[in-house]
Amino acid sequence: MQALHQKAKELLESGKVQVIIGYGDGSGDRVRPVFISKAESASDLIWDDRCRQNLAVYLNKPEIKKLGVPAIVATPVVVKTIIQLISENQLKSSNIVVLVVDNDVVSELTDNASLEAYSAGHPVVFPPFVVKEIKDIAEMSIQQRNKYWQDELSRCFKCYACRAACPLCYCERCLTDNNQPQWVCVASHAQGNFEWHINRAMHLAGRCVECGSCTIACPVGIPIGLLTIEASRIVKQEFGQEPGLHCDADSAMSSFKVEDTETFIK
Amino acid sequence: MENNFEPKIVAFVCNWCTYAGADLTGTSRIKYATNVRIIRFPCTGRIDYNLLLKAFAQGADGVIVSGCHPNDCHYTSGNFHARRRWIVFKQMMEYMGIDMRRVKFSWVSAAEGAKWADIVNTTVNEIRELGPSQEYLEMSRQGVA
Amino acid sequence: MSRIGVFICHCGENISATVDCEKVAKTLASMPGVAHSVDYKYMCSDPGQSLIRSAIKEKKLTGVVVAACSPRMHEPTFRKACAEARLNPFLCEMANLREHCSWVHAKGDATTDKAIDLVSMLVEKVKRNKPLFPIKVPVTKTALVIGGGIAGIQAALDIANAGQKVVLVEREPSIGGHMSQLSETFPTLDCSQCILTPRMVEVAQNPNITLYTYAEVESLSGFIGNFTARIRKKAKSVDEKLCTGCGECATACPIKKIPSEFNTGLGMRGAIYVPFPQAVPNKPVIDRSRCTYFKSGKCKFCASKCPAQAIRFDQQDEIIEIPIGSVVVTTGFNIKETSFFPEYGYGKYKDVVTGLQFERLLSASGPTLGEVKRPSDGTVPKKIVFVACTGSRDPAKGIEYCSKICCMYTAKHAMLYKHKVHDGDAYVFYMDIRAAGKGYDEFFRRAIEEDHVNYIRGRISRIYERNGKLIVRGADTLLGAQQVEIEADMVVLATAAVANDGAESLAQKLHVSYDAHHFFAEAHPKLRPVETNTAGIFLAGACQSPKDIPETVSQASAAASKVIGLFSNAELTREPIIAVVNRTAPPLFSTCVGCFMCQSACPYHAIEQEEIKTREGKLIKMVAKVNPGLCQGCGTCVAFCRSKSIDLQGYSNEQVYAEVMELLS
Ligand SMILES: Cc1cc2nc3c(=O)[nH]c(=O)nc-3n(C[C@H](O)[C@H](O)[C@H](O)COP(=O)(O)OP(=O)(O)OC[C@H]3O[C@@H](n4cnc5c(N)ncnc54)[C@H](O)[C@@H]3O)c2cc1C
Ligand code: SF4
Ligand code: SF4
Ligand code: SF4
Ligand code: FES
Repeated sequence: MQALHQKAKELLESGKVQVIIGYGDGSGDRVRPVFISKAESASDLIWDDRCRQNLAVYLNKPEIKKLGVPAIVATPVVVKTIIQLISENQLKSSNIVVLVVDNDVVSELTDNASLEAYSAGHPVVFPPFVVKEIKDIAEMSIQQRNKYWQDELSRCFKCYACRAACPLCYCERCLTDNNQPQWVCVASHAQGNFEWHINRAMHLAGRCVECGSCTIACPVGIPIGLLTIEASRIVKQEFGQEPGLHCDADSAMSSFKVEDTETFIK
Repeated sequence: MENNFEPKIVAFVCNWCTYAGADLTGTSRIKYATNVRIIRFPCTGRIDYNLLLKAFAQGADGVIVSGCHPNDCHYTSGNFHARRRWIVFKQMMEYMGIDMRRVKFSWVSAAEGAKWADIVNTTVNEIRELGPSQEYLEMSRQGVA
Repeated sequence: MSRIGVFICHCGENISATVDCEKVAKTLASMPGVAHSVDYKYMCSDPGQSLIRSAIKEKKLTGVVVAACSPRMHEPTFRKACAEARLNPFLCEMANLREHCSWVHAKGDATTDKAIDLVSMLVEKVKRNKPLFPIKVPVTKTALVIGGGIAGIQAALDIANAGQKVVLVEREPSIGGHMSQLSETFPTLDCSQCILTPRMVEVAQNPNITLYTYAEVESLSGFIGNFTARIRKKAKSVDEKLCTGCGECATACPIKKIPSEFNTGLGMRGAIYVPFPQAVPNKPVIDRSRCTYFKSGKCKFCASKCPAQAIRFDQQDEIIEIPIGSVVVTTGFNIKETSFFPEYGYGKYKDVVTGLQFERLLSASGPTLGEVKRPSDGTVPKKIVFVACTGSRDPAKGIEYCSKICCMYTAKHAMLYKHKVHDGDAYVFYMDIRAAGKGYDEFFRRAIEEDHVNYIRGRISRIYERNGKLIVRGADTLLGAQQVEIEADMVVLATAAVANDGAESLAQKLHVSYDAHHFFAEAHPKLRPVETNTAGIFLAGACQSPKDIPETVSQASAAASKVIGLFSNAELTREPIIAVVNRTAPPLFSTCVGCFMCQSACPYHAIEQEEIKTREGKLIKMVAKVNPGLCQGCGTCVAFCRSKSIDLQGYSNEQVYAEVMELLS
């Protein structure tokens, strides 16, 4: 942690960055995001196993953008997110300092190449319970899946916390806020919820970096991350494309290969 | 067993191939079931999956999506983009428990008038077997309640 | 409130035989927003159209639905009728009651119900139609022709002779392309140089043509009618204005042993050289990679001999920018070298040559002055084996396609050889003879029947050397795959015609598509064979696929006529069915977040990035912007846009949504 504090202090003092997005002490035993803009507060930064939240979500928030050039304390999934955001023209590696901590050594990932190398070397693995959920659903019949999702989604009351937590949901006007026409029913009844969640999944297909922030954010405990994980799994299986690996990758859903195959188009 | 159920089917087709193919079905006076209503799009690339969702929510029993064969798209690659979209959409719908047998994807060229009639008839028969669309309608009914 | 007019056509009896047109009109009359609904025998007739025109005026219609035949047939007719009554033509839609309803269903309620649905759907759509106005784009009347082979020459001359300006860019020191290397040409056996040279001279002399040789296109930006081309003029090291083309410099150059590209390595050239005697322009360039002065800083023999003092060792590459209205790509093809074929000795046998090398050996201006001599020892070969389909139609070599020209030029080669070496023997190994073309079959038959060339159907498996002879092994498939072995003095391989070097990178610079083999792709294989999918960029000749001279020239003239057509108006008019990215009030400016998914999705590269800045010039955001000159209106981008910030005029989200909702209501 020493090294991290030192680095943060240097970055702020030199004026290279104006804010450091990192983890700090939260209530109880928890950590929370902190935004440090004074060098003397650098020692508030924490780095341990509890630091899992995907902080990249703050990079595109207008309040944070206003503070100036940011440095971010990045877990592997944050690095992936940043690469994905770069590929979607939402960030430039030259406008951000990415700090990764490995065995108390802090390194700066300053360009696309170093971000990509880091991401390639740090694959994201699902916690065992997610692996189990994925397996359970995969084994269900289509009717069971229908019931499963109808039950789960029936609790959704469209608070859009998932949307706010997702670093890749950065649209300034979400599809759901569009009423000409009303693509997604406003009400949080079965149809409205279904429309919202399938759209969310389709929009994140091939983009979701599988950080799990959406599931964590959901106040009624719907495992909605599974939907976007599935969408990305389909993309990987069908087109061999994975998000968060290449800064200049074309989005899987807005590109194609002549050789793409399917068996259902007659 | 007699089956009197007349399914409602919407077809989303591109202007250059399938729409023209269906025109040819007409000029060749090939008969097919009356259940289908065609909506014209410039290209399959323009067809938003949300329109399919809306069609089902409004009570369609089946949907046909059709355009130019690969490499034949009037705009060269709209159908390749569409194909990717349908590959993901179909599996995603199935993951969420929606029976995608109600959606028929096809490539029908401007010369395939007979194929168009065949697609419509096969779809109508298959949907008739499946019966009225339930799962989606139930969702939208809940909305009314 | 909408006031829609509905016009149901009987089409004689074509529609009314199975659809109750009167009922359709009556039902529609009670639909909200419908101000007028009638049926009539022939809507497209003059009285039918005036029915529409007068209803528009009398009932103050805000939109029209004509329910008749396919819009693919009569949409222009009815839109024009509306325009005549001063209703914006894009406020008129057609419901297809004939092809999609009356002709495909039997008479009955179900058919009439369907007709009602189809018309109501279009009524709901038309309520949301917006007046649209044709897009006008100004046209710069200068064409850029890239590549000075026969295709480029023909296209440039045709355009120039129609009174338009042409910039012709050729990357070699001279125009002429492959045709200038040929001896005599099938199927008439006229001398290639004799028919080509006058055209080359015409290019140089035509006041409408600006010729840049030893030059390449660096980049092309803009869109149809309004491109900007950046052209790199490579340093020739010679002041072309002063040079008289006397050739003293080439004689003076001490380096003489550089394999001549023009003579396919069978002849030599100096470091300062004119590629061939008939070159246009007939002025030398210094090949800096071979010149002693550029390598060691000493020499300048050429400069000391130049009577015009035209040598410029300090000349730099020059980049020029030219406004261009249209582009014709004519960069031609190339052939595979013998080294591509391990089974035929990897190019290590000097007497195994390509067809192009053989052309040089046959050519009166070639290294042997037209005498057929073996490259190895200069003797006259008494037995030659010609191998057609070398590499072509061979998936194992990655070339599945037919090179098209080889059957014919192989017959030509065998024939010309027999004409020159009367006692020689010529064998041709072939897979099939493809001689479709005017006078083509007759031509190759002459080779067999009059010149007694031996045709053997089969592939050859190996070529190797034994006692100074080339042993060619193959199988005769017409004799039950019997092994054949021929002791030849020389072997000519009709190697596959492939895309020219740099075709892929040029295609990317121009944003045109190319196929798996890097040949440029036409917009439509049948109906738009000389257009690319980028408006205003056309193709001709062997850069699109291997082809012979007559086909190349006809394509070149076709492409030229497209350009001339484009230039015949001061402005271009385009259908306004295009995509538009929304603009809203600050601080949002547009709901577009600049993810540019639409950009990679657009088949026409019609989507640009626009910077939205504060008055002080500070960047607020990047948003997408559709270039109306390039957009073709496919709507692919629209379905991608997550925030629904881009929409397609004529098929807007609101319009198609309303159609679905109405249909199932
Ligand atoms: C061995 C052989 C024999 C043949 N015999 C006959 C025959 O008898 N009869 C017949 O009809 N046809 C014959 N052909 C076919 C004939 O050569 C072609 O049809 C013809 O040359 C095609 O012309 P082109 O202008 O399209 O291409 P090319 O002749 O290849 O010309 C292309 C030109 O573009 C230039 N270029 C390439 N890339 C660029 C670039 N990036 N920028 C600028 N310039 C560029 C090249 O330098 C060249 O000058 C023969 C071909 C071969 C190989
Ligand atoms: S897991 Fe959820 S929050 Fe994370 S990227 Fe995917 S959709 Fe967004
Ligand atoms: S896809 Fe939509 S949000 Fe993204 S750049 Fe294009 S218009 Fe903007
Ligand atoms: S409508 Fe088609 S051509 Fe036009 S900008 Fe969109 S994707 Fe490109
Ligand atoms: S135009 Fe038919 S699929 Fe694109």
